[in-house]
Amino acid sequence: MATSSETAMGQGTVRRGLSTALLRVRFFEPASILWVLLILFLLFLVASPFAHLLVVSFEKTGGDGFTLANYVTAYSRSRYLDGLRNSLMLGLATAVVCVAFALPMAWAVSRTNMPAKWLVWGTVLGAFILPPYLTAIGWILLAGPNAGWLNRMWMAITGAESGLFDIYTFTGIVLVIALNAFPYVFLFTKSALDLVSTEMEEAANILGANAWQATWKVTLPLIWPAILGSIIIVFLEAIALFGVPALLGIPARINFVTTQLWEFFGFPLRMEVAAAYSMPLLLITLLLIYAQRLLLSRKGYVSQTGKGGERRPIDIGPWRFVLLGYCTLIGVLAVAAPAYVIVQASFSKAWGRAMSWDNFTVIHYWQILFEQSMTQQAIMNSFMFAAAAAFLAIGLALAIAYLVTRRLVPWGNVLAFLCMAPFVIPGIILAIGFYAAYATPPVALYGTATLMILAFAARFLPIAYATSAAGMRSINPEMEEAVRILGGGRLTAIRAVVAPLLKKTLLGGWLLVFIPATRELSAAIFLVGPQTRVMSVLIYDMSEEGNFELVSALGGIILIATSFFVWLGFKLVGRDFMLRGR
Amino acid sequence: MARLVLHAVIAGLIGVLAQLAPVAADEMTAQEKQLYEAAKKEGNLTWYVAQYSTKQSEDHGQTFTKRYPGVTVDVIRTTGQVAYARLTQDLRAGVPQCDLFTGTDIGHYVTLKKDKQLLKYVPENHAKLRKPYQNLDSDGYYFTTSANPTVIIYNTNLVKPEEAPKNWTDLVNPKWTDKVAVAHPGFSGSMGSWTVLMVKLYGWEFLDKLKKVNPLIGRSLLDPPTILNAGERAVGISSMTTATRLYLGKNPIAIVYPTDGVKLTLSASGIPANAPHPNAAKLFANYLLSVENSETLVKWGGQPLNAAVSPPKGVPSIDEIKVAPLSEEEVVSQVPETIERWRDTFGN
Repeated sequence: MATSSETAMGQGTVRRGLSTALLRVRFFEPASILWVLLILFLLFLVASPFAHLLVVSFEKTGGDGFTLANYVTAYSRSRYLDGLRNSLMLGLATAVVCVAFALPMAWAVSRTNMPAKWLVWGTVLGAFILPPYLTAIGWILLAGPNAGWLNRMWMAITGAESGLFDIYTFTGIVLVIALNAFPYVFLFTKSALDLVSTEMEEAANILGANAWQATWKVTLPLIWPAILGSIIIVFLEAIALFGVPALLGIPARINFVTTQLWEFFGFPLRMEVAAAYSMPLLLITLLLIYAQRLLLSRKGYVSQTGKGGERRPIDIGPWRFVLLGYCTLIGVLAVAAPAYVIVQASFSKAWGRAMSWDNFTVIHYWQILFEQSMTQQAIMNSFMFAAAAAFLAIGLALAIAYLVTRRLVPWGNVLAFLCMAPFVIPGIILAIGFYAAYATPPVALYGTATLMILAFAARFLPIAYATSAAGMRSINPEMEEAVRILGGGRLTAIRAVVAPLLKKTLLGGWLLVFIPATRELSAAIFLVGPQTRVMSVLIYDMSEEGNFELVSALGGIILIATSFFVWLGFKLVGRDFMLRGR
Repeated sequence: MARLVLHAVIAGLIGVLAQLAPVAADEMTAQEKQLYEAAKKEGNLTWYVAQYSTKQSEDHGQTFTKRYPGVTVDVIRTTGQVAYARLTQDLRAGVPQCDLFTGTDIGHYVTLKKDKQLLKYVPENHAKLRKPYQNLDSDGYYFTTSANPTVIIYNTNLVKPEEAPKNWTDLVNPKWTDKVAVAHPGFSGSMGSWTVLMVKLYGWEFLDKLKKVNPLIGRSLLDPPTILNAGERAVGISSMTTATRLYLGKNPIAIVYPTDGVKLTLSASGIPANAPHPNAAKLFANYLLSVENSETLVKWGGQPLNAAVSPPKGVPSIDEIKVAPLSEEEVVSQVPETIERWRDTFGN
């Protein structure tokens, strides 16, 4: 009896087990396989390159055996160590200069009655449109020590023997990067300032402080975390940049981490040493991001309460014109002047000569667009890769955001973290990771468009994810549930409900990935093959011939295209589309 | 019916014209014809080139396509060291991309040949080259595609002829502080052999002296002439081709053939053993040594390779210039160390 009942029980369990399995199969959705595949793809795109980077840094050249030799090589020459030191100095100096540029601007726009605030917004937008390497080229034309426009003007006016400015210096490099990166500080601090209510300043006033003291002692301390946060972002931007250090640092004879990494990718290829050499950059990045988190999670800076509070602009009297002058100056230095010389050079027979009709030509545009197969191909590549990467990034980001917000899989936070991780990883390191993981056999994507598209998609995935996640949070699940009750699967719900509702958000996100991907240089320079060159790489290659007219014309095309897509974004998505997802 | 006949006639005419248009096919040698047929099937070739500027390279490629319709050239122009770095990356990744490698550092070819990475091929036109350019490699793995001496140049608006440097050591005279432009041997192959020559003639101190005059260091040897032309610097070094073109184009550039001798190294081209379009590569290699292409070279201010073409007017031909002694072996053995010493001296 006992035995038979045990058997019966056993059979019962088996049957129940079987029926749950059957139930599972019955309710199993094809979408589940898709989720697994997507997660695998995310790992492939983000996690695996870094794993490879780490592994390769301990590998012998050629790939067998463990060694520390790469680290010894990477840190044994004073030149290499100089590169590290210079990059750190560069990051620090750039961050400080950015604050000097942007803090007064943010304060003026947020808190004062300065007129013509649109001018500041125009500057911020312009700085976004100009990629850093174009700002650098503009400044070479402006402040080349002898032939730069500013210097020739100075020599003509004063009769001096030599020019006033030299862009091929450490200061020059800092200035150029800061003029491009200050919008980070501006946007961070401005949004923090917007939250500080006037009442706090008034309290200070009542206690006897004047407007300056109130600003200095009350407002500024309240936005300290935002300033520090933006300093960290600028620092990370600056140390990860390749274009500016290459264009200005090589003639200036200053070595930076990124240009040194590029040297390791020269002949003989020392990918393993490059991986080892990039570790400090990665560590610093991780530490700083951790520091930023700590900073922002401290509770002493709460300025937004449930009580609203009033925000009135401070009347700063005639000082508002001083501030306006300062903002205009930054606008001219950051956007108007470099953009103007680039456009002018692109229409000149010789950029060194003055502007006149007999120096005017459209031949450079003609050559780029219609004659040289190389430039035509690069322009096509830039747009195709960027578009493909944007689709890939948005598609993946939306799916992952869906998984995470609807809690369809365990460990959603890890997925979200993976999606956001590339935001803080320098593009150049991402590229080396990609090279290590996928360029060589067995994957062997070396020189293919796929490699470029994957790298761009990974690089800008965080933008896509932030946009998609924000969009997902705004959709109440009840609408999808309605679909499911009516018998539709998950995929139907996404296709018929979520995607249409998020149309604008997705379009905005797509553009936010597409635009930077059309001008990306730091990652592209390590991954291009002869058939996959893009505009930015071509600009870098052609700049070495000193042919600034042709380079400027290519730059002009980037500027026109970017402006067009930004305009399109404004038109289709709304005025604030560039501020989303940040 | 009449219309049909007309169509047939037109079709026939078009066919005949297409045959005739670029090069009358019967002008081609048998070998050329055979290569062209095979090349047409491949359609294009990828050309890693460091010897000419972007524009000039495009011109060589386009004149080639005019002569051989249906075969196009994808120009990948960088400096010699960068081109070689990319080639070796291709090889290491096992993904061949390059069909013809036209570099500026002869050492690269010696290494590639030793590693069996080059295809043995002597172009038909090789026999028509000027004598000194023939048999660069006695085994036929690479061949001369450029003879481009390195010379001194100065900006005539900024420097009077009597003050101009006469020899290489004049370039490092303190009076030129902040006024000299050179290139970087870590990028430019020609700059590499030039630096080897300077060190051979004047020792490592030459680099320290050069550092003292604070030169503007571009990447390519094409950089200094443009920098000088813009008035950014007053004196510098240049390839003779670029200098000649600027000089003949009425730019404020004058050439000095240094009394201690110009640096002359022959620059080679070779077809990688695993080139994806070997026939197109062979056809193009042969074309580079042709009369037409030497005319293109002269048009760009260069020295002709083909014996049937005369050098550009208004400048001396290469036989009339004093050449400093520098052997291929010296270049091959010294360049890597020289680059390292340069980087350590100048900081990057």
